[in-house]
Amino acid sequence: MKITRTKAFKVFFNPIWESNPISGQILGICSALAVTVQLKTAIVMGLALTFVLACSNLSISLIRKLIPRNIRIIVELTIIATLVIFADQVLKAFLYDISKQLSVFVGLIITNCIIMARAETYALGNPPLLSLLDGIGNGLGYSQILITVAVLRELLGAGKLFGFQVIPNAFYAAGYENMGFMVLAPGAFIAIGLIVWLQKTVSKE
Amino acid sequence: MSSHIKSILFAVVLSIVCGSLLTLASTGLREYQLRNIAFDKQKNILKSIGLIEDKKAPSLETVSGLYADHIKKMWIDFQGKLVPKEKKGENDLPVYLYVKQEKIQAYIIPVHSRGLWGKIAGYLAIKNDGTTISGFTVYSHQETPGLGGEIEKRWFQKNFADKKIMDDKGNFVSITIAKGAVQGRIPTSRHKNFVDGISGASMTGKFLSAGLKRTLIEYEPLSERFRKNEIK
Repeated sequence: MKITRTKAFKVFFNPIWESNPISGQILGICSALAVTVQLKTAIVMGLALTFVLACSNLSISLIRKLIPRNIRIIVELTIIATLVIFADQVLKAFLYDISKQLSVFVGLIITNCIIMARAETYALGNPPLLSLLDGIGNGLGYSQILITVAVLRELLGAGKLFGFQVIPNAFYAAGYENMGFMVLAPGAFIAIGLIVWLQKTVSKE
Repeated sequence: MSSHIKSILFAVVLSIVCGSLLTLASTGLREYQLRNIAFDKQKNILKSIGLIEDKKAPSLETVSGLYADHIKKMWIDFQGKLVPKEKKGENDLPVYLYVKQEKIQAYIIPVHSRGLWGKIAGYLAIKNDGTTISGFTVYSHQETPGLGGEIEKRWFQKNFADKKIMDDKGNFVSITIAKGAVQGRIPTSRHKNFVDGISGASMTGKFLSAGLKRTLIEYEPLSERFRKNEIK
């Protein structure tokens, strides 16, 4: 059997493009609008979410047969909250400046619908390894959109990438101006809208 | 076992496991976090007197070097006299002095204010004339990002530079955050006592103005000594 046909491969790669959590399932939009002004914060946010999603999917799947049905949402939330607080503490210890810029948004990963959705619809009914792959895949799918939007916004809004000037000064001298609109949240909204459109058109076959 | 007891037992075990994991992480990382916070405070003190630029992220060595060379922490008593750490009394207030070429260029006072959602902490630097503000920075707050959270942004903080805490007649008036732009709202003669506010965050501005005023009144004895040229 070819590797691209295996279930694991599909579980991992589907959420990166076809059923992408942001552009396919339209989940997690709020944070995607908030942290994509700069590439650096977008990448850190993507990594933090991927970490939380992978760990929460894995641990929920490991104990899925033990979790009492009637309190499963609370159990899921407790596990997710623990992981998010842990990620926040690590960021505060080693990437203090970025954690200050991300401010409340790391904490708000707890309420990110992607994580709850994956725990409820996937991890509760599938074995640990597949759940882990599903978590990483969805996390990377989310990061991928965040990074694309952040590149667009930082480049068009500030003329920079990773904080370095990319658009040469000669352009500005010739009358080029930064698009201030891209720095604001509506700019991200439009960028995400365009990505959803592109994705729907391409994957229609 | 009935399902209720099973649920309760499961919840208890889960809470204990998650709780101990978090305690472990928090105590294990505490040292690193405290170091970051201390570094960030030093950086903000230097930023308030314009020794480091906001745009470039300075290295740890630059910051601690500059800090050791130029900043001296002292205390002031109720008469506004500077006292060293050994002699400080119980109610004395901390102040940071910016010393360059053996002369005090500015003094930096820690500001603790109420905000809309939590405490705001920062530094206000005043030049050695006891009147002119050199700079203002915020290193910790819980305001809404994009609204009140803008108090940590450069555009807001740079408005404080060269404003005065005294009016034309020489009376203490503190520095106030206007409701919106200063231009057109405040009479021209008082522009120097006001900074532009943040639209959508009038409450944050109100609380911070009150906090600044309260802090400045506490430090008035010291400012007065600077105005009278009693401290060199």
